[in-house]
Amino acid sequence: MKREKKAKRIKRLSIVFCTLVYVFLFLPISVIVVNSFNATTTKPYMSWKGFTFDWYIKLWDNTSLLEALGNTMIIAIVSTVLATIIGTLGAIGMYRYKFKGKGLIDGLLYIPVVIPEIVLGISLLTIFAKVNIPRGMLTLILAHVTFCIPFVIFNVRARLAGYDNSIEEASMDLGANRIVTFFEVTLPVLAPGILGGALLAFTLSIDDVIISYFVYGQTKTYPLKVMESVKSGVSPDVNALSTLILVGTILFVVLTQGDLFKKKSS
Amino acid sequence: MKHEKTKHEFRANTLPALVTVGPVTIIMVLLIAVPLIYVAVMSFCSIDEFYNVTFDFTLENYVRLANVDYLKIYAQSIVIALVTTVICILVGYPFSYIIARTKSKKKKILYMLVIIPFWTNSLIRIYGWRTFLGSSGWLNSLLAGIGIAKEPIEFLYKQGTTILGMVYCLIPFMILPLYTAIEKLDSSLLEASSDLGARPVSTFLEVILPLTSSGIFSGSLMVFIPCLGYFFVSDILGGGNSDVIGNLIERQFQSGNNWPLGAALSIILIVVTLILVKIYQKLGGDMDSLGV
Amino acid sequence: MKKKILSLIMVGAMACSMFVGCGSSGSAGKNGEINVFVWTEYVSESAIKAFEEESGIKVNVSTYSSNEDLLAKLKSESEGTYDVILPSDYAVEYLVAQDKLEALDKDKLTNLSNIDEAYLNESYDPGNVYTVPYEGGVACIAVNTAKVDKEITSYADLFDPSLEGQLVVLDDYRAVIGMTERSMGLSMNETDSDTLASVEEKLLTLKNNVKLYDSDSPKSALISGDCSVGMIWSAEVALAMDENPDIEIVYPTEGAYVFLDNWAIPKGAKNYDGAMEFINYMLSAEAAQMNISDFPYLCPNTAALEMMGDEYVNNEAKNVPSDVISSGEFVSYLDTDTLAIYDEMWTKLKK
Repeated sequence: MKREKKAKRIKRLSIVFCTLVYVFLFLPISVIVVNSFNATTTKPYMSWKGFTFDWYIKLWDNTSLLEALGNTMIIAIVSTVLATIIGTLGAIGMYRYKFKGKGLIDGLLYIPVVIPEIVLGISLLTIFAKVNIPRGMLTLILAHVTFCIPFVIFNVRARLAGYDNSIEEASMDLGANRIVTFFEVTLPVLAPGILGGALLAFTLSIDDVIISYFVYGQTKTYPLKVMESVKSGVSPDVNALSTLILVGTILFVVLTQGDLFKKKSS
Repeated sequence: MKHEKTKHEFRANTLPALVTVGPVTIIMVLLIAVPLIYVAVMSFCSIDEFYNVTFDFTLENYVRLANVDYLKIYAQSIVIALVTTVICILVGYPFSYIIARTKSKKKKILYMLVIIPFWTNSLIRIYGWRTFLGSSGWLNSLLAGIGIAKEPIEFLYKQGTTILGMVYCLIPFMILPLYTAIEKLDSSLLEASSDLGARPVSTFLEVILPLTSSGIFSGSLMVFIPCLGYFFVSDILGGGNSDVIGNLIERQFQSGNNWPLGAALSIILIVVTLILVKIYQKLGGDMDSLGV
Repeated sequence: MKKKILSLIMVGAMACSMFVGCGSSGSAGKNGEINVFVWTEYVSESAIKAFEEESGIKVNVSTYSSNEDLLAKLKSESEGTYDVILPSDYAVEYLVAQDKLEALDKDKLTNLSNIDEAYLNESYDPGNVYTVPYEGGVACIAVNTAKVDKEITSYADLFDPSLEGQLVVLDDYRAVIGMTERSMGLSMNETDSDTLASVEEKLLTLKNNVKLYDSDSPKSALISGDCSVGMIWSAEVALAMDENPDIEIVYPTEGAYVFLDNWAIPKGAKNYDGAMEFINYMLSAEAAQMNISDFPYLCPNTAALEMMGDEYVNNEAKNVPSDVISSGEFVSYLDTDTLAIYDEMWTKLKK
């Protein structure tokens, strides 16, 4: 009896504790959402001046903000595709072949994962400045591909760990050439790892601030645009756009959730 | 005959190896190795009267950085990272434990609720804290409203605020690996332990903790290291009063305009990182798990 | 694992923002585009929009928070990244010394006659070969009289221990150290190392008083009440006064830090003609009027001032009195060794 009472108390305590953590996690989000309806028009847009939907309309006139979002998308898609192709090939090659300097490349792959992003940012800046590549879309994509590749490789490699070489041999024995074997046999087996790596790369790319901050030139991404607006007070239209993105994502998850989780649990 | 063989060898091994590993090698060498070596070289360079980097060897940058004042900032930065990591463990561990051991269907939702906030750009969320904590912010209005505080309480621009921001940004990197580790725990093991008469405390210390330590280690590494570099958190919430090493580097590459000095600072940060990674590996941490 | 799930979701987020972003991918204006690099909170968005409409040139604006930021970016970015910049006096001196600026084509500057001659021909650019003045001002003091009892009249008063944890100061080392030097009766451009040692001692006594370093929008902290005293740009004080009547402006008795910002075209600019057109437009009375309405700094544009009316002209926070300017001092460009000492002091202050 006493034990049951104690268990109940623990349960109640843990509910309270978790609720507090969730409140902590969601607090700033609620500030953003509420402020996107704030009628204030004077910087720094902090005090509440009444409710309005205006910012959701004005948002569409803020071309530089929308353009930045477009840039973010282009960079994320291009660098995800590149990083996925290069990373997948690399993971397979490193798994299958022995060659000199393999250890070195392995070591280099860990650098973007553990090193503080700022170091990566400044090292790319110095080298781009040295060889005089104009900063912009190209340098942003190069930088993003660089820090995304290791994440793709690690994900594919995790999949390769349980990979049975003999099915490939069987395919070749049956007369399929190397290329056909790769597309028909190898790729399908690795697909979940590749997909996981690609999604991770995409996520990292769209939210990156620190590395982009050093190599953007004139091509601003959405996070950089936010960084600029933080200087003089985040205006409610930025809040409105963030709210839209958030709502869109939640809807997407709710609609696809069943699917997502079935795949996950396997 | 021999020629034939090498040709075959080339087609069977060398060519596919080149095609697969070639691109990644080029990128890793040109965009990771070369830049970092260049930064290391630059850290021994001087600057001319217009702050252009000149390749005259000097130890001046490191001498400047060995100064007590810089040492104090490194120490402050490490303290901030340490406190952040400890808080993340203390909050993240029980939290992950509770949601990972929840039996109901709600578990997935609880898990998603941790991730949802992080779909919003991190800078804007940090700015949300500033709005919340300011003198005329929500919290102070609330406190004044219920009559607790007559004068607004100063929350912003302190070391504590920076730590709060760091915890906020980085806690998912603690919760998620812990969640994975705890979820893997075999509940029959825990039952066995308590059936054998072990008290909850000793079950925790002797069974649960060792089995989930990998999560703690990788979580700690993924919280501690970024903490040293997240300059925007201390910029927005610390008001320039609680700089981390990242702020120093950023300043030398922007307004300070002294790249060699910034390069030397980066080398120091790299060394700190390497030491931490070594410790992590010594503790049995798996490097691949950091990126998955 | 951890990030994998994160990323699954992110894709959804982006799928949604895709249609948002792609609908509006930027395209150059019909008459090309220019890249303009200016101070944060300094050039009116409406003036830029008006220029875009009038000229058909698309303007991409980037911002910086200090002259040092500007110089660093100019150095690190490849030539041709920016078409128009807005450096202050001593930064012009530095850029001219390095031959980093294009000479301005005076024939195209038809609006130059709007500028008060008192602001032309400054020592850093005799004959205005490379630059024309935009706006200027002083780094002065803002006091929230509802919260501060002490009477503040000078930079020296900012060091008073009673102001502990109440100050917002510019995140600009030349301004803060210069202010300290003025408070000791020195020049803002001291180079003697012994003198600088005593400056450092004084500077560090400011540490406990400073709550926030902010150059971008220091008025925010004053308006929100987070800080009650500021050492900030004059127009920031003026804007804060508009929001909160308790805030007053104080011009320091020692003579203030004075600055004048100037339009210039960096060497290698890709669109020189567009840049000239932009600068000339900014010199027009209507553009200047829009600019000072949004950011009320000292305005050398007499045509615009006449249009603003007495209320503006007589507002001493917005239209800085001429004796404040004449008793103040410009910062000048110092050698790297001296600046290293300045930088060291700054690091100590902020640690």
